[in-house]
Parts: sequence; structure tokens; C-alpha cells
Amino acid sequence: MKFIYYLLALLAGISLSIEGAIYGELGNSIGKLESSFYNFFAGTIIIGIITLFFGKGSLGYTFKAPKWTLLGGLLGSIYLTILIISIPLVGVGLAMISVIIGQMVASMIIEHKGWLGSPRIAINKDKLIASGLMVIALFLIF
Amino acid sequence: MNIALLGMTLLGGVLLSAQSSINGAFGQKAGALESTFSTFFTGMLLLALAVLFFGQGDVLLILDAPRWQLSAVWFGVSYLFLTILAVPKIGVTAASIATVIGQLSAGMVLDHFGTFGGVEVAFDVKRFAGLLFMLAALFFIYRGNKRRVETPASDSIAS
Repeated sequence: MKFIYYLLALLAGISLSIEGAIYGELGNSIGKLESSFYNFFAGTIIIGIITLFFGKGSLGYTFKAPKWTLLGGLLGSIYLTILIISIPLVGVGLAMISVIIGQMVASMIIEHKGWLGSPRIAINKDKLIASGLMVIALFLIF
Repeated sequence: MNIALLGMTLLGGVLLSAQSSINGAFGQKAGALESTFSTFFTGMLLLALAVLFFGQGDVLLILDAPRWQLSAVWFGVSYLFLTILAVPKIGVTAASIATVIGQLSAGMVLDHFGTFGGVEVAFDVKRFAGLLFMLAALFFIYRGNKRRVETPASDSIAS
């Protein structure tokens, strides 16, 4: 059921944390932009091989797709660069809090409006309660 | 200065959400693996340019870096792929919040043990309370989503 997709998203978050912690170390030895580059370079090879053998979709669609749907890589790189610049100056805790708040507000607006190809899901009371709880949790954790 | 930086970091979160939606939408048409590949590939091209012009480290040191540090890429690939799978099914808000919860929970475990050479921060009562609040938040998102009114995804940025 749908439940499994919540677990997948949780797993995605766990991966993100482990990735961040390890790249923090790698960044100290080879440089920060260089670590990001390594991530995307090695990742391209890994996912390239997997797609080659198991891909059921059509990579050719990339060339026909509306161009704005190709901006994912650009946005991800800008996000990473912003974090690299701000963490040493404002601290990880504060940086995380503002990233997460930006993420929650933006995703609710995107979903409410059905922007960027997202299915339209109206903001409801449950979601507002959930964001309130998240803000409390953030201040307890950091 | 710090306010401007926090504003930028906030924008970073906005971009991350936008990325999830865009990738999810693209993945619906091209396939999840293919969407992950496109994102990694374009990210690689852009960062190659960034490293060339602004890089202050040494890319070649990758060859000397400890192998366990290089294994981070598997987690990077997993994150993007799992996000692309989840977003079209549960929506970008639920996916983002669940991701954040996974991230913070794992972060607290890594902090507690000082895994991977990070700063050690003990898991205390405040953090445990934070965890409970996050689980409650996830419950409300799940409940809110069950009542959702769905309309087909549109192809335009503004609909």
C-alpha cells in the first residue's frame, strides 16, 4: 500500500544523513566542490549501469521533455553549494532548521497549487498541525 | 549578513522541494531510474564546470581517499532514487517531511556515536521528545493525505 512509500521516503532521509556525514569528512581532505563533483560523477556511473540493465522507461524522453523538467540537477547543485557556503558561517543546526522550514512551506504551496507537475493536494488542517509539530521538534533537537 | 545567509539557506530548502517535484514529474514519464540518471548526469556536468572555475581542493586526491568515504555515493544515489519513487505516490509534502524525519533520526544516531568522525552529541531527553513530535507530525501528514482531493498532474509550471 501507500505505507511502503512513506518508509521509502524515511529511508531516503536516512541515506541523506549518512551521505552528508561521510562527505563532510571527504570534503575536508579533497575539497567541498570536489566532493560534490565526486558524488555526481560516481553516481552517474552507478545509476547509468543500473539504468542500462534494468531501466524500463525511456531515456530518449529526455530530449522531448519540456525543458523545465530537466532542471532537477541544476537545483540540486545550487542547494548543495548554498549549504556549503552557509554551514560554516551560521552553524549546522540553524542551517538545517531554515532548510527544513523552507522545504515544508515550499512543498505545501507547490502541492496546493499543483505546480511543477505535482499532483494537486489542498492544504488541510492535518498538514498545518504536522508543520507546527515539526517546528517544535526542530527546536527540541537543535 | 547572517539574516541574508539564513534567507539563502531557506531558499535552499525551497529549491530542494522544487527538485523533488520536478524529478517526480519527469520520472512519471521517463521512468524513475532514468530520472535519477538525468539528474546525476546534469549535476555532474554543472559541477565539473564549477570545480574547474571555483575548485579550491584537488579532485585527484579522490584516488587516495579512504574507500569508506567514497562509499557515500551509494547513499547519494539511494536518496535521489527513493525520492523519485515516493513523490508521485504520496506527494511532495509528505515525501519531504518523511525524508526530513529519516534524516534527523539518523543524524541523531550518528551524532550520539560520533560515527564517521563527526562531533559527538549525546541523545538526551530533549532529542527524544523531538523524535516523538516528529512521529506525531508524520501521523498527521499521513492522515491529511488520506483525505486528499487529487487532480491529474499538469504539464505546465503554473496551472
